[in-house]
Amino acid sequence: MNKPLPAFSDRSEAPWRQHLARLLASPSAIIGLALLSVLLLLALLAPWVAPQNPYDLSQLDVMDGMLPPGESLTSGFTAWLGTDEQGRDMLSAIIYGMRISLGVGAVSVVFACMIGATVGVLAAYAGGKVDAIVMRIVDLQLSFPSILVALILLAVFGRGVDKVIVALVIVQWAYYARTVRGSALVERRREYIEAARCLALPKHRIVFRHLLPNCLPPLIVVATVQVAHAIALESTLSFLGVGVPVTEPSLGMLIANGYQYLLSGTYWMSTFPGIALVIAIVAINLVGDRLRDVLNPRLAH
Amino acid sequence: MNFFKKTLLALMTAGATVGASHAQELRIGLSAEPTSADPQFFDSAPNSALAAHLFGSLVSADENRKLLPGLARSWKMLDDTTWEFKLQPKATFTSGEKLTPRDVVYSFCRIPFVQGSPGTFSDLVKTIASIDAPDDETVVIKTDKPDPILPNRLISAFIINADAFGGGKNIKFKKDGCEDFGDNPNPSDFNNPAKSVGAGPYKLAEFTPGSQIVLERNDNYWGEVPHWKRVIMKPLTNAGARVAGLIAGDVDMIEAPSVQDFERLTNSGFSVARALTPRLLYIQLDQNNDPAWKSPTVKGVDNTPMSDRRVRQAMSMAINRQAITDKIMGGLAAPAGELLPYPMFGSTKDFPVTEYDPEGAKKLLAEAGYSDGFQITLATPNDRYINADKVAQAVAQMWTRIGIKTDVDAMTAGTFFGRRNKFEFSAFLAGYGSTTGEMSEKIDALVLTRNPDKETGTLNLSHYSNPAVDELVTQAKQTVEDKNREQLLQQAAKTAMDDVALLPVYFEVRPWALRKGLTYSARSDEQTRAMSVKPDTAN
Repeated sequence: MNKPLPAFSDRSEAPWRQHLARLLASPSAIIGLALLSVLLLLALLAPWVAPQNPYDLSQLDVMDGMLPPGESLTSGFTAWLGTDEQGRDMLSAIIYGMRISLGVGAVSVVFACMIGATVGVLAAYAGGKVDAIVMRIVDLQLSFPSILVALILLAVFGRGVDKVIVALVIVQWAYYARTVRGSALVERRREYIEAARCLALPKHRIVFRHLLPNCLPPLIVVATVQVAHAIALESTLSFLGVGVPVTEPSLGMLIANGYQYLLSGTYWMSTFPGIALVIAIVAINLVGDRLRDVLNPRLAH
Repeated sequence: MNFFKKTLLALMTAGATVGASHAQELRIGLSAEPTSADPQFFDSAPNSALAAHLFGSLVSADENRKLLPGLARSWKMLDDTTWEFKLQPKATFTSGEKLTPRDVVYSFCRIPFVQGSPGTFSDLVKTIASIDAPDDETVVIKTDKPDPILPNRLISAFIINADAFGGGKNIKFKKDGCEDFGDNPNPSDFNNPAKSVGAGPYKLAEFTPGSQIVLERNDNYWGEVPHWKRVIMKPLTNAGARVAGLIAGDVDMIEAPSVQDFERLTNSGFSVARALTPRLLYIQLDQNNDPAWKSPTVKGVDNTPMSDRRVRQAMSMAINRQAITDKIMGGLAAPAGELLPYPMFGSTKDFPVTEYDPEGAKKLLAEAGYSDGFQITLATPNDRYINADKVAQAVAQMWTRIGIKTDVDAMTAGTFFGRRNKFEFSAFLAGYGSTTGEMSEKIDALVLTRNPDKETGTLNLSHYSNPAVDELVTQAKQTVEDKNREQLLQQAAKTAMDDVALLPVYFEVRPWALRKGLTYSARSDEQTRAMSVKPDTAN
């Protein structure tokens, strides 16, 4: 335990380069990364890639509703994945929905991570009562299923992408707080922190410049897993009818919408968004899995 | 053809052939379960539908709410406040006892005092001042004030047996508690087949909440004895499960298959029935032109554009009602031009439906000074009316296309109604049915000037107010003669529609699906009645 982290011991080569090389050594991670980059690219370039803007109501026409894949819309282009009952081109709706899903996942994880990490590292450094109180709050929150908490929050907030993000941050920060506190407790007793203390560095400098950076590897692993979790959670919330506004469907809402038509044979309305969601989550998990192996100091050599 | 279609078709044809063995048994999948077999417990469609099997009422109604003799073979008005009902001399209860005026008095006496009722029928009898019985077959009802629609209301006032439940021997109707009332049965007594005594075509054989309700035919029924010997009603509240049950042959008939499945069922050989209901889906627009008022969800302009009739007209013309009923409601809706579908009382034959005319709408908007349009949010409940959130999106599309940029705010019904009643919406989509099946009820709630003291305009949340309409309806309420009353109501409805008091969108159509070989004469009151299910002659 007293041995320093191997990945950070070798200062001759930038550690992230080593990590990247080891990450790319796994074929499944490469597939995951490739898929993820394609999806990210599509999501980022949605307005230029998608044949239609599914959120602009003036571009939709109910008369184009529920066309099977391959039929042409009145505005001229072909709906390769069919249309939903509002005349929304499914392909465009999936690309835009992916944008919302990935965006909500990434943004909520970044904020939850920042809040959780700060709370966790402070609790660990302060110790004593502060630590006890903060960690009991974390325990309390983790004892409730996250979907339940998010449902209640959204029932209070109402619909909206921003509100979904806030709800996801509130239900997720506790995971990061607990993870960071765990590793910060170990790091706190190390020589470099004691050295910093001897130099009488200000507390905030010790916490944020010395302690926190050394707690990052487990945090990154939790974050990648949580991105996938956040996306699934957002989809679940939208599927359940809270979450994003009906005129701006995310993947979950598209699935919920099409689900009502499944028995009537209009399969394309929920199947394609479902496949897209599965691909996104699998891709993130593939990368996340490998990242965990790479960043785990115990598996390093 | 694709895989899904083939499998589904195969399943459906397989299902359609099963079930012929139970020749005299009818199994019905209910979309909502009756909460009690007490006919006076809860004023709701599922409860009243069950009650119609087990009990009778003085007045009954046909599929289109036309009044028919029930336990009363005839009725007439003696003067403005007096009605005389002649009882059906043949009518008997399942106990073998003959129907007497005492049963009528006992039933009406109990209506306001049912224990633990979540929604009482007391409105039905609130105008009644006294009930007399000059002889054993006559009931004379006096009302406080002229009440021309009393017979319409008495459709849901089911008659229970005074002797079976311990009614007083000399019971006398009094407005706030009858003299010598006797015992007041507990609603749960009615769920017990041994105690339930009614004058309906069926007898209760089993009432197991959450599982099934079984009815046996009353072979001594005084009227036309129904075809089915045994009726089993199963609550299947999930629409998918209901359709699956019908396809698998577990039930012979289901209520309310979903809009999404209806077309498929129709095309694969199932027998279907539909009834145009009086439930109107409408949009109310904030019309408050008080300069101090800021319409809650209008953006881009300082005033309330919808207080201008031309703007409301343009918003109505922008809606392609036919496209909504065809594409989003799958044909289970009919475009609406006024508050009530023809031929219900007070509606007008061939009342015009506002024509879809986006170009004309744009012109009208420009004329009213809104050529640049404005922004608005259309609110709607998403768990109350069939596909309401999808309809709202389609309307939003159509308004956006004429320059009124529209957002949709869909929320649960609880939130929606709370916020609506606090005037938090500039535009909202909602629905309103009808219990009496005539115009005055609907016009009262939706269009008359809002006045909590007089209980008018209870659901008029648009600030619409036209004294001419108020006056016509007040007159109509005091007019006893049917023809004159209907004319006054028609005129009131027309004036309000000319003002574009609200935007009628469509009337809901209630569907049923049955296995092949059965037909159902669908009812506009949305009730499912085993008596109206008939096998084809070939069977």
